[in-house]
Amino acid sequence: MQTIAAADSGSIGARGKSGRWKLIRGNLDMYLLLLPGLIFLLLFKYTPMYGILIAFQDFNIFTGISGSEWVGMSQFEKLLHSDDFFRVLINTLLISLYKIVLLFPVPIAVALLLNEVRRMFFKRTIQTVIYLPHFLSWVIISGLFVTILSPTGGLVNEVIVALGGHPISFLTDNRFFRSVVVFTAGWKEVGWNAIVFIAAVAGIDQEQYEAASIDGAGRIRQMFSITLPGIMPTIVLMFILRIGSLLEAGTEQILTMYNPLVYDNGDVIGTYVYRMGLGQQDYSFSTAVGLFNSAVGFVLIVIGNALSRKFLQRSIW
Amino acid sequence: MRSRTLGDRTLDAFTYLVLIAMGLITLLPFANVVSKSVSEEWAIVSGKVGLYPIGFQLDTLRYVVTNSQFLHSLWISALVTVIGTLASLVVTAMTAYPLSKRELPGMGVIIVLFIFTMMFNGGIIPNYLLVRELNLIDHLGALVLPALVSVFNMLVIKSYFESLPASLEESAKLEGARNFTILFRIVLPLSGPVLATIGLFYAVYYWNDYFNPMIYINSTSLKPLQLYLQDIVMNADTSSLNRSAEELMNVPAEGVRAATVIASTIPILLVYPFLQKYFIKGVLIGSVKG
Repeated sequence: MQTIAAADSGSIGARGKSGRWKLIRGNLDMYLLLLPGLIFLLLFKYTPMYGILIAFQDFNIFTGISGSEWVGMSQFEKLLHSDDFFRVLINTLLISLYKIVLLFPVPIAVALLLNEVRRMFFKRTIQTVIYLPHFLSWVIISGLFVTILSPTGGLVNEVIVALGGHPISFLTDNRFFRSVVVFTAGWKEVGWNAIVFIAAVAGIDQEQYEAASIDGAGRIRQMFSITLPGIMPTIVLMFILRIGSLLEAGTEQILTMYNPLVYDNGDVIGTYVYRMGLGQQDYSFSTAVGLFNSAVGFVLIVIGNALSRKFLQRSIW
Repeated sequence: MRSRTLGDRTLDAFTYLVLIAMGLITLLPFANVVSKSVSEEWAIVSGKVGLYPIGFQLDTLRYVVTNSQFLHSLWISALVTVIGTLASLVVTAMTAYPLSKRELPGMGVIIVLFIFTMMFNGGIIPNYLLVRELNLIDHLGALVLPALVSVFNMLVIKSYFESLPASLEESAKLEGARNFTILFRIVLPLSGPVLATIGLFYAVYYWNDYFNPMIYINSTSLKPLQLYLQDIVMNADTSSLNRSAEELMNVPAEGVRAATVIASTIPILLVYPFLQKYFIKGVLIGSVKG
């Protein structure tokens, strides 16, 4: 044992075929350590990718992939002629875009404002409060909002009625469902998403502020001329990452909130795949829809990473 | 501090106003639901309960937390969280360590194979069919095994391992220690903070996971807390509580829903100080990495 280890530590950096073999033989236990992770990777990550083949079949769950009939692209033709598919695609894009446009800027504003707070106790208290919802499951958050948005005795509707309005059934009304989805997503994550920007703000050179003060710049001016430009690289990076998940409108969130009454506006690709595949057991068609989703997502991430590498000299991998 | 301009004072007022408003918007739903969970039925039904309880009582909460199905689901969630977190931490660290040694043949390729799965995956249905093929439907393994290694978490641990001084491991190697021993005796004991952070990432994931239980668990006796809670929240009839007629008279559905939500939130609140501390570290490690 001793000799192997000693020989190995001496050979690091040695190149060529014999050097490589020596490295492998001297570190067999390293490859052994890797085994569970590798089995996991092949079984739970790559086997499902093989399972994508059923998108090109008329899959029969009893005969398996080898015993099912190949149908080429016909599931995708069905998809292109499906009204449902376009409905969920549009819902997905709309909810996702609303989330980006309305919610992406808020954490940046929160970070800028927190930076102006000089009372540390206040700052820490606010942070503790607004980070909390991040740790709650969507089921709990749905529970909270189902309660306060209830048309019978819910807090929000009590206020609406007190102000002379009529109660609104937020979670069963297509006109309001997307707004509820976007608002609750913001309620859960806005505080948490500010952390990265708060850290970026903290990294800005303090001398810049002193110099600006001497030049007579007020704090509003400093915020827009020093702080905001200072965190711009982080903003761009986060934005690129966010665009990469454009087709993820919040499947788990919507699954805990929606109901058949709001399928028109609230059904998204993820929830549709779930219902078609596991509810109606149309495995091949729902896998085709899922593949469309994964493929577009993949392209978006690759483009995003290329942009980030080009403009920020940073990449995700 | 001395010469505060009008602009500065406006900014201060605006800042405090906006942040206080955000804090209140975050807290109001809790205030309302907590109040409902401890208010009298007549007050809830008539819509009088706002931000404070009316007719204080603890019977609803007591009823919810002594409900056998609630306790059973709590137990299932705790079991999955503890076993899942430990298994994930061990396997993730075991995977990250060899991958942190780029000089070993093959490691570079394997890293690429892992990272690729962050960008592309088989999707819901192929995953379901795999779990079904493995006979894991209605088995708690279905809640742990498919999520055993998070590639993101693995990369965070890997970059931490890479930052450790190589001299520590080299001297152990010279004394004849095997890599296996070095990982468990030297490297892991030095990795306390990163393991705590990643352990909490996993724990919160397992505890809050709703999607996997929803598609893989049908049996009532294996339902984790999130699945149980969803039944209560969405089925206003709360039939899953198996209540007697007498109990139905005494416990308002709305109050039960509120109390179940609150009772399910308490475990997270209890560990929140740790979560906040270590999660912030984790987010920063993850984003600085790049």
